[in-house]
Amino acid sequence: MKNLIYLFISVFLFATFLSCEHDLPANADFDAYNYQSIDENGGNWKPIILTSNEDVVIPAPTDVNSAEYKAELSEMIAAQKTKTDNDVSAINYWGNNPAIRWNEITCDLTTKYNLIPAPNPDGTYPGPNAANPGKYPLFPYTHPPYSSRVFANLSGAWFDGLISAWHYKYKFNRPAIHKSNTEVQQLLPTSELPSYPSDAAVINAISRVILTAMFPLEKDDLIKKSDELKNSLFLSGNAVKSDIEAADSLGRGIAKIYLARAAGDGMKSAQTPKPISDSIKNAAFQRFGWSWTNQEIPERPVGLTPLYGKVKTWFVPDVAAIRPPVPPAPGSEEFKKHEAEMKSISENMTTKQRAIANFWNDGLNTYTPPGHWNRFATNDIVKYKLNPLRTVRILAYLNMAMMDAGICCWDAKFYYHYPRPVQAISGFQTILGTPNFPSYTSGHSTFSAAAAEVLSFFIPQNTTTYNQYASEASDSRIYGGIHYRFDCQAGLVQGKKIGEITVNVARNDGAQ
Amino acid sequence: MTKTFKHFIFIFCIGLSITHLRSQTPTDALLMDKNQLCIAPMYTHESWKEYWEGTLLRDNLNIGIFTKQSINPMLAYGITDKISVLLSLPYVTTKDSRGQLQGVSGIQDLSLFLKAKLLNFKNSSHDFGGFLTAGFGTPISNYLSDYQPYAIGLGTQEFSLRAIVKYEYKTQTYLRLGAGYYHRTDTKVERDYHYNNGSVYSEYMDVPNAMQYEVTLGQWVANNSLQIEVGTHIQSSNSGDDIRRQNPGQPTNKVNFTNGSISLRYFPAFLNGVSIIGSYAQNFAGRNIGKTQALTGTITYQFYLKKKNNSETAN
Repeated sequence: MKNLIYLFISVFLFATFLSCEHDLPANADFDAYNYQSIDENGGNWKPIILTSNEDVVIPAPTDVNSAEYKAELSEMIAAQKTKTDNDVSAINYWGNNPAIRWNEITCDLTTKYNLIPAPNPDGTYPGPNAANPGKYPLFPYTHPPYSSRVFANLSGAWFDGLISAWHYKYKFNRPAIHKSNTEVQQLLPTSELPSYPSDAAVINAISRVILTAMFPLEKDDLIKKSDELKNSLFLSGNAVKSDIEAADSLGRGIAKIYLARAAGDGMKSAQTPKPISDSIKNAAFQRFGWSWTNQEIPERPVGLTPLYGKVKTWFVPDVAAIRPPVPPAPGSEEFKKHEAEMKSISENMTTKQRAIANFWNDGLNTYTPPGHWNRFATNDIVKYKLNPLRTVRILAYLNMAMMDAGICCWDAKFYYHYPRPVQAISGFQTILGTPNFPSYTSGHSTFSAAAAEVLSFFIPQNTTTYNQYASEASDSRIYGGIHYRFDCQAGLVQGKKIGEITVNVARNDGAQ
Repeated sequence: MTKTFKHFIFIFCIGLSITHLRSQTPTDALLMDKNQLCIAPMYTHESWKEYWEGTLLRDNLNIGIFTKQSINPMLAYGITDKISVLLSLPYVTTKDSRGQLQGVSGIQDLSLFLKAKLLNFKNSSHDFGGFLTAGFGTPISNYLSDYQPYAIGLGTQEFSLRAIVKYEYKTQTYLRLGAGYYHRTDTKVERDYHYNNGSVYSEYMDVPNAMQYEVTLGQWVANNSLQIEVGTHIQSSNSGDDIRRQNPGQPTNKVNFTNGSISLRYFPAFLNGVSIIGSYAQNFAGRNIGKTQALTGTITYQFYLKKKNNSETAN
């Protein structure tokens, strides 16, 4: 009997404690690294919206032989002696290219706020209100248009900010701390970059200011994170306080310029009241004889941001000029072929198709397709050890292309107002939830083709992979049952065009 | 077995219940005789119209009424008079009445349980028994757990340990108490990032472990041809997040429930070795779970694979 009990308990304990559990990291795995190059001439690259590299002015730094500078170094040396384990963890977390972490934080916030409003008891729907962000539904609702706009403004400001920082670094030429002092411990990889202003602190200030404007409820947490990074730069021996303060002021100035542009980009009126939404729907019906209707119960009366197609683009000069052609009319012979394909996939779903649909779902409660592409980009940026300026150059063009892709896609969506498969195909079932906006073209396809085109320009050795990702992301919507193949194909074509337009700008920014 | 050891078991089980609050699953205090096999095909029909999104009880017109049915050809076999092995392999099918999202059908998890009677004090009026069950379950098809509420299971390996005590008075009325601990491994999903009160960069989701408690009162009536039980089950997860507002659930959710159940088991005199069980259960409190009504029908047939030596009954 005793043996029996031993057997039971030991089998259970053995199985339980040896059972396979996995690491479930809250952060992507990034370590600090030595930059592959430092781009001494980066200060002369062409900014995106700034008119010059001195639009925001910072004062000249004190000389490294001055008493003030020496006092700053002494302060740093003293502080390093009392740093805690938490300080060291923070230094390792942020590393020496903190745009990567701020990008990840943006992914986190996008996921956190990406929830669609629940209906009121009377069957109406509330909407988020920027003037009262804490009232349910919280502001913002980070759907793909909103999130692509956050990423674009943030990384555009980073790029312009670092061009300016690079300019000042070489203009004032205050040497990196490790060049003038050996008493300061260097806890991060060092580089030959002049230290004033701190590039990391420029990224930090821009991130704090822009993300606070975009996620007002996160203000306190963003300040906490930003203070942690400033402290890490200081304690790691990377930047003295004057390097950080000048950078903070530069970053705030640049962020302000971007926020001013964002305030006037038309996003405020993208989510329309019902009468405007209805008139857009009627116009499409008059034009084509069809219109999209939300199929949820209760029906959502207004689609997601019907006027996002009118928001100001970064690089696409004329949205209507690259609008895709008219899709096949519902019920037409051409449509019936696509209907048959949708039904056949839905009824004979393979495990692989299901996995692709889920991998790329990037729907509610995720960082959306733009977030997904930022992850690929940051992984490769770290893999190829790009310096902070090269990093944000890629992120800026990537995210501005994706925002433009979203704008062009939304223009087509509400111009054509094409019904989703659940509306047009009787009895049709999906494995993904159908989004609250018209079908044609596919947002995933447009975002992804634009992203693949841009990333392939910067990291040409990965072109095949990026194109495969884009094509898989596009197919995933067909497998999920929420897009016809013609939505996806048109989206890929449209996205590629937007990518090309963006790459043409990048080609001429002086960096190559 | 020594008294010390009995105390150890008791303290062990209590200890688990305190440190890990959580659990689930039906349990009885029945054992097969040695070489006795019981075949018990079971049909379960569960449905709900309302569910707890976190702690908020709500309906969802995009689901309508959610239904989950399963057929489980259970087997139990007596290795000795004191140790039985149980096998369960349900086929599960899910759907909603709205019909816009696809339901799922498939073979769920293969589970194996070892149940042993460890304590027994008996005289003419009182019968006290103590049991321990150890279980292991594992998915045997490639169903996706990250498709709630339609997923047919949690997609985890589950290790369970459950203590059951039963007291019966004059072979007519009994009280059964159970406490179990369920350890669940991570479940593999089809995306490499998810949100669980924060970002998780992994293709695995943490499925909460759980404690489960059970109190059941039973009575034999009609010349011992009918057994009636009423009871309650409580599951309490010791970690996990809540379903986010207007969002589907996921395997990481903290799933708690309290249900009430009634069960009737009939032994027809004219069919030796056969019994028919019907039961009804209703969740009346919960978190991240449907306000489920469950109806279960089981036919059991037990017989000896080898000639039996003594006349002890299975109960």
